[in-house]
Amino acid sequence: MPPRDRGQRRPHGPPGQDANEQLPWAIVYYKTPDGTVPVLEFLDDCPGTVDAQFTAVLDAVAAAPPPRFSGGGKWEAMHGTMGGWYEIRLTGPGREQLRLFCLLENGTSDELAKRGLPRPAIAVITGMRKPWRTVFSERDYQRVRELGREHQQNYPRRIAT
Amino acid sequence: MPSDGGVLHRRYSYRVTCVTLRGEAAVTSQMLDVSLHERRRDRRMQDPQYRAAYEQAARELAQTDAVIQQLDSLRADMGISKAELARRVNRNASSVRRLFTASQVRPELPLIAALADALGAELRVIPLTAEARRATRAHGRHRRVAATG
Repeated sequence: MPPRDRGQRRPHGPPGQDANEQLPWAIVYYKTPDGTVPVLEFLDDCPGTVDAQFTAVLDAVAAAPPPRFSGGGKWEAMHGTMGGWYEIRLTGPGREQLRLFCLLENGTSDELAKRGLPRPAIAVITGMRKPWRTVFSERDYQRVRELGREHQQNYPRRIAT
Repeated sequence: MPSDGGVLHRRYSYRVTCVTLRGEAAVTSQMLDVSLHERRRDRRMQDPQYRAAYEQAARELAQTDAVIQQLDSLRADMGISKAELARRVNRNASSVRRLFTASQVRPELPLIAALADALGAELRVIPLTAEARRATRAHGRHRRVAATG
């Protein structure tokens, strides 16, 4: 990837979306074919304060989407087999590690319209938790990716409303 | 109209048609209601504990982001590339690039301080005034860290 290293931060999104750049991105929750919403099940199971922190991070990112938002120490672009994904990383009671896995929905107005999205969005796909100093398995990540693939195959997107 | 948390939300669903240069309808799509997150947040914010946790997290995020943004602005104003800045602090270019592009989850304070120094700036911890503490419902230990040129 060529460096984009000179001058001010680049505005997000493709050209021709100036109107969208004034608006916070939408935040949408993926819904499975059977109607469940993994991220809502996850958040509802989190302590309220953790839920509040996840929400605050999502709102901050939506207000200044990548690359404008530095991450604030909580939002991270993933790499390797999870390239293209973003995660929100929080520590809960007992140092439990809690993660939300997100995809960015951006593109031209036409592309967004095909997805049923009125403006660019952060699609929150699912969440996972693990004890401190443990790692998620590749199988865990594979499940996340499968949900993401299912989400991205839908035109329009299937989201919780 | 539904009401959540005292805020009225217009739930919308409407049809958008894009027209090609030849005047043909190219895309017809039903727009989705994307307001669930906001409605859920507004409902949860009625819980004082939830609201306090949300506001504290928002302040912390804003402070961290502001420091990094200020450093990046200083760097850009001085016409220094990220790679050059990394060289000046004897760091790998990728670590500096990650810092400025949301690819590093926990910015290291020593790196932040080194970057500020290389950019002719310094970090300061500024206690909030009592009035500001009250305004932010702080617990008496909040500090504001700022990069100043």
